[in-house]
Amino acid sequence: MIELIYLLLVDAWFAWIPAVGFAMVFNVPRHMLIYCAIGGALTHSSRFLLMHYGIPIEWATFIVSTNMGFLGLYWSRKHLIPRPVFTVASVIPMIPGSYAFTAMIALVEINTTGYSLALMQLVMENGLRTLFILTALSFGLAIPSILIYRGRPIV
Amino acid sequence: MSLSKEAQTELTRVAVFAGQILHQHGAESRLIEQTTQRIGLALGADNIELSVSPDAIVITSLSDGHCVTTTRRCFDRGINMQMVCEVQRICVMAEKQLLDVRDVKKRLKRLIPFKHNRWLVVLMIGFSCASFSHFFGGDRAAYWVTFVAAAIAMILRQELAHRHHNPFVNFAAAAFVATTITSLGVVFEAGENPQIAMAASVLLLVPGFPLINSVSDMLKGHINMGIARWVFATLLAISVSIGIVASMTLVGVSGWTS
Repeated sequence: MIELIYLLLVDAWFAWIPAVGFAMVFNVPRHMLIYCAIGGALTHSSRFLLMHYGIPIEWATFIVSTNMGFLGLYWSRKHLIPRPVFTVASVIPMIPGSYAFTAMIALVEINTTGYSLALMQLVMENGLRTLFILTALSFGLAIPSILIYRGRPIV
Repeated sequence: MSLSKEAQTELTRVAVFAGQILHQHGAESRLIEQTTQRIGLALGADNIELSVSPDAIVITSLSDGHCVTTTRRCFDRGINMQMVCEVQRICVMAEKQLLDVRDVKKRLKRLIPFKHNRWLVVLMIGFSCASFSHFFGGDRAAYWVTFVAAAIAMILRQELAHRHHNPFVNFAAAAFVATTITSLGVVFEAGENPQIAMAASVLLLVPGFPLINSVSDMLKGHINMGIARWVFATLLAISVSIGIVASMTLVGVSGWTS
């Protein structure tokens, strides 16, 4: 149990760094960076916890990004700032970039070295995983405006 | 409320200018549409209709049965959430009748995109990619190799973006540089599993914002905006992987598909 908490804390520590780093690339205002850090640490570590208890990565991503959507809703109404400012940077650590690049590189390899089942398997598995994680991520973030606000402006 | 012809034209120009700023700085389509309509209505139009397309917005304002239509091209000026926040704030103030047309125009004209200190961004992006290498199970050597490679790639990306190079060329070049540096780590056998650094050091080039915007645009009914963003993000990812493959062929290290 103590070990799990330690792993969670390490995960949260390494997750806030990319959240803030990418928030700075998107030029999020300086006093909002702290929220991106909190969001990034919370989402990534809670996804780690869910996956530790055996929930598949897509569903775990969907659950935590839905929670992030509601947290972003609270912050955005509190500070009168559009929601993507907090939410997108917070979920950046969960973007399946590595899967996406593996799929693309395998495609390029198929072109150069010819078709092989192993390469095609890499393309399909990584490509589909990218697609599903990404959809879960955006769908989860959009849940508050789809289910509750339904077209009305949030701020 | 009845508006003169000049007043209605001015109102339309101000509203389309706000929409253009949002579009150029990477807001999602729903936000562009809502904010432009709200500013137009707050300034006294009866109705605002607009069509958001990937490289332009068209807006029509209605007042007393008269229509004024105008179009603006929207060139991508890089994602900047600070500008989106400012336009939103102006919109809320206009809705509370704190600003009239002239104030809104003056404030929108005065906005200057805020940029974080570039060396701070380089440092943070270096540590971000290094954190990803930790998530992939890398050791300390992989951590620092990733840090150096990602930081240098980020400097190159900023330099090329500053000189207005094509984003595809920019991303391919940055991926090439990052992979070359990390594959030197593989050649000189830095640490237990130096391949992890190769995977982590290019993650600064993932087009995360366009991808998320793309799916949420499609969810909220802006299918063609969503498709345009999706294609743009996919092309960026393809150019990144071409940069990676070029570097792996040159150095003779394979870290991804084997």
